[in-house]
Parts: sequence; C-alpha cells; structure tokens
Amino acid sequence: MLSNIFLKTLRDQRVSFTWWSLGVVALCVFLVAYYPSVTRTPSLSEFFEEAPEWIKAFVGESIEDYTSPAGYLNGELFYMMAPLIFLIFAIARGSAAIAGEEHDGTLDLLLANPLPRWQVVLEKAASLAVSTVALGAVLWLSLIVAAPAVNMDISHARLAAAILSCVLLGLVFGAFALALGCATGKRGTAIGVATALAFATFFLNSLAHVVGGLKGWNRLSPFYYYIEAEPLKYGLNGLHALVLFSVALLLVGLSSVFFARRDVLV
Amino acid sequence: MQEPVIRTEALTKYYGRQRGVEDLDLEVKRGEVFGYLGPNGAGKTTTIRLLLDLIRPTRGRAEVLGMDAHAQGVAIRERVGYLPGELSLYDKMTGSELLQYLGNLRGGVDRGYVASLAERLECDLRQRIKTLSRGNKQKLGIIQAFIHRPELVVLDEPTGGLDPLMQHEFHRMVRELVAEGTTFFISSHNLPEVERICDRVGIVREGSLVAVDEIESLKAKALRKLEIHFASPVPLTLFQELPGVRDARLENNTLSCSVVGSMDAVIKTAARFEVLNVVSPEVSLEEIFIEYYQGGSDA
Repeated sequence: MLSNIFLKTLRDQRVSFTWWSLGVVALCVFLVAYYPSVTRTPSLSEFFEEAPEWIKAFVGESIEDYTSPAGYLNGELFYMMAPLIFLIFAIARGSAAIAGEEHDGTLDLLLANPLPRWQVVLEKAASLAVSTVALGAVLWLSLIVAAPAVNMDISHARLAAAILSCVLLGLVFGAFALALGCATGKRGTAIGVATALAFATFFLNSLAHVVGGLKGWNRLSPFYYYIEAEPLKYGLNGLHALVLFSVALLLVGLSSVFFARRDVLV
Repeated sequence: MQEPVIRTEALTKYYGRQRGVEDLDLEVKRGEVFGYLGPNGAGKTTTIRLLLDLIRPTRGRAEVLGMDAHAQGVAIRERVGYLPGELSLYDKMTGSELLQYLGNLRGGVDRGYVASLAERLECDLRQRIKTLSRGNKQKLGIIQAFIHRPELVVLDEPTGGLDPLMQHEFHRMVRELVAEGTTFFISSHNLPEVERICDRVGIVREGSLVAVDEIESLKAKALRKLEIHFASPVPLTLFQELPGVRDARLENNTLSCSVVGSMDAVIKTAARFEVLNVVSPEVSLEEIFIEYYQGGSDA
C-alpha cells in the first residue's frame, strides 16, 4: 500500500472510509426499515398529488409515486440524501488531495521526488475516483441485501445506474474542489467555493421547473444530468452520464495544469 | 572543465511585492560543502525552493547538475536529496513506513543502507511520527534526504533540534559522503556549524548574495566576543592596542571586547595576568555580518 501515491492516498483514508461505510449501511437499514410503514399509508401518495407544483419541484417529481420502491428511494435517498453524502465525501477528498497536503506542509517532501506534478495530481484524482466508487458500491450492496427483508422490489441494475449517476455527480464536485485546491493551494477556499456551487446548482435545477425564466438554464447544473433522466426508473442515461464524466475529467485535467504552473506555498 | 553542480544567473524571486531573493549569481562546485549563511528571512529557503522547482523564479534562471531547474526538474530530483526547512512529515505513519514510501516513489532504494543510516543517527523507525520529538523528526528528515545516495544533497537548516552528539554524527556523515564525491548545499543561520562542516560559504542578506568566501578567510574576518575575568586590575590600554580588538572595556576587573580574526594576541596578553574565567558570548549573525562588511576594508 506504500508503493505509490495512489495507493498511499487510499491507505490514508482507510479509517475514515470505514466510518463513512458504516454510516451508509446505517442509512440503508433505516430507509428499508421505514419502507413498510410508507406502503401502508396510501394517503401519502394522494397528499403529494394534491400538493402545489413548487412543493413537488422541491421534493422531487417522483414523489408522485412515493409508495413504489423506486419512488420511495428517489424521494428519500436520491433526491437529497445521496447527493449530499457523495458531495461531502468527494469535496472533502478533492480539497485535501493537494491543498490539504500543502496546508500540512508535507507537499515539499512529496514534490522533492522525481515525479512530474501532473502525475501527483492524477494519482490523487484516481484515488478520489476509486474511493467514491467504492462508497457507491457499499451503498448498492447495503440496499440489495436489506431490501428483500421488507419485500422491497428494486432492480439491481437500475439501482446501480442511479448510484453510479450519483457517484459521477460527487466526482464532478470533488474534481472541482481538487481544481480549486490546485489553483489556490487553500483547502478552505476549495471546500467553500465547491460547496457554494453545489448548493447554487442544486437550486438552479430545482427552481427551473417552477420559475419560468429559468427554464432550460438547469442544463447548466450538474444536478440536471444526475437526476433529470431518473436513472432509478429508466436506467442510466448514457449521454447525461457522459456529460458528468467529461466535466469531472476536464476538471482533473485543469487541476494538473493549474498545479504545474504555480508556486507551492510554505 | 567540470561544470558546477548548482549555477544561478540573476535568479530573482518576488512574492507579490515582497522580496524573496534578488539577482542571485551562485556557483557550487562538485564535491564541496557549500554553506549558505544568512539570518532568518534573508532568502535562504527561497533559494533552495527555487532549486527544487517548488517555486518559480520571477526572472533569471537556476541550473542544477547542468539542467534547467524547472524544465528538467524530474531528472534533477532523481539525483538530489532534500531536507525542507519547515519539515512536516506524514504524522500517521511510522518512520519505517515513511522511508519505505519515499523510497518507493524513487523506484526503490537499498534497505540495508536506510537501516544503517537510521542506526547511526539512533532513530527509532517503529514509532509513529506523531509521537516523535522534534529532534527525532529531524533525524528522519535527514535520513530521507540520503536514502537514494544522491549526488547533491540540499539541506535547509539541517541540525535544528538535534542534540550536540547527533550533530557531530551528522557532520561525520557529511564528511564521509563528501569523500565519496557527494556535493552539499547547506543553509544555516549558525556560524559555528558552518565553520565546522563547510568548505565555502555564501552569505545572503536581505535577498542578495553579499559575499562568497572560503571558510578560512571568513574565519579570519569573523567577529567574536570575549570576556576575561581577571583576579586583579589590568591595564586597559594594553588590550586596546592589540590587533583586531574593538570596543574594549574594563569593569570590575573584567575585560569585555570584540575580536576580529585570530584571538591569539588577546589570549597571550591575558596570560601574563591571573585569569579566573574566559567567556565567549554568542554573537548574533547580524553583528558578525555588520562587522564583516564594514570591517572588510580596514581589517
């Protein structure tokens, strides 16, 4: 685990990753345990159908069939909770990758090795991607193991598609935090700006459904490409996934360019 | 003719409007121990980080081992060992894990050699770095700069935190490696240390290289303070007339003065009287420098 930066960075996260995983497992247990009580309350469905448009926009359109397994998971997990988890996870790691080491003062030691800076960035980015995918796998496994206990019938493939979509969303913002850290060397700035942008684009996507003037602008939001095609119901939208993947990749590329050009802070 | 190991041309670094170093022309020859002496904030660390391509010059250029510090940085760093001035290590690792990791990033190093370095500096590699004292961390920092048997070792304030015994062991290691052909570039604000291990000294002050000199001639010009406690009154004028003696004062049978260069005359004169004690208070680098530049012409 100490043979390169990629593996060492994963190794550094082994304790925190375990806690994240336990958190995700616990969340899944709650979600699944709560599901039977939702199916026994059909009035919930009716309530949402009568709700005004703006509430639907905020709670998610798929709430209309809240009692179906897919509707339930969309509303309770994929609309808000899962993006939150993957965003926090990825932004924390993306900002720590370069700016974190810089803040700790260990970057001088690392960069004194015969490695080009872009390679350092790429190895760090790869470990960010792998750990985020691994957290997605934990979420997927927890759900498919727990769901049968309450006869919650979900497609394993579509669940995987929805989680993958969420992982990609997380990676977009994680890569953005990485790029900010690479450009500025300041971890706090990277976390703050990436988080602010995540909130802004989340609301942009939600509000575009109700505010006429914003119609179409939500295509600028990563959240549009994450949830709009409803991967949990219809499977992965290849184009949307590709957009997220490309943006993340582009941001990693920019990260290595930014980082290669600037002074390392003391 | 052998090309210099380090060569800088009008190397200049500004941090915004703040000066780092200015118009630095520096040459370090193969196989020498070059001391880079200056007070804190003079630009020593800036120079070193420019050589390692951690920061980029505002103008001018630096060559290390005949290659451009920036364009060929990777090839340079393969053959250079570096101890940062503000040393931070991976706290959660043990010493042996850290050295294993850094060795692997260099494509693997001789483990027996690493173990022998650790043994010489009495560095316990099994402990977590977080729990180590400052001196022990510094030892790890020194070891990691040596593990790949580099041709050039750049050390930024290497002996801070080391106890005197370990400082001596470190000096011995430097001497041995120099015998094998290694070149050293060592920054320090500590004149006695530089005197002990360096062949040549560059003096940097407020971002500029103000003098490069053989250590012997620096010693000849360096200023020391001296206090001699006598048993009975002595004539002050006798000492005031001695070569190299400045600011001689006599109080309660205690002579205090500054001496430039050799102490020989003062000691021999003092020996004619009964001496109770001799004290040589430490001189700040700034004082030495002021003397060095001002006194350079008339000494």
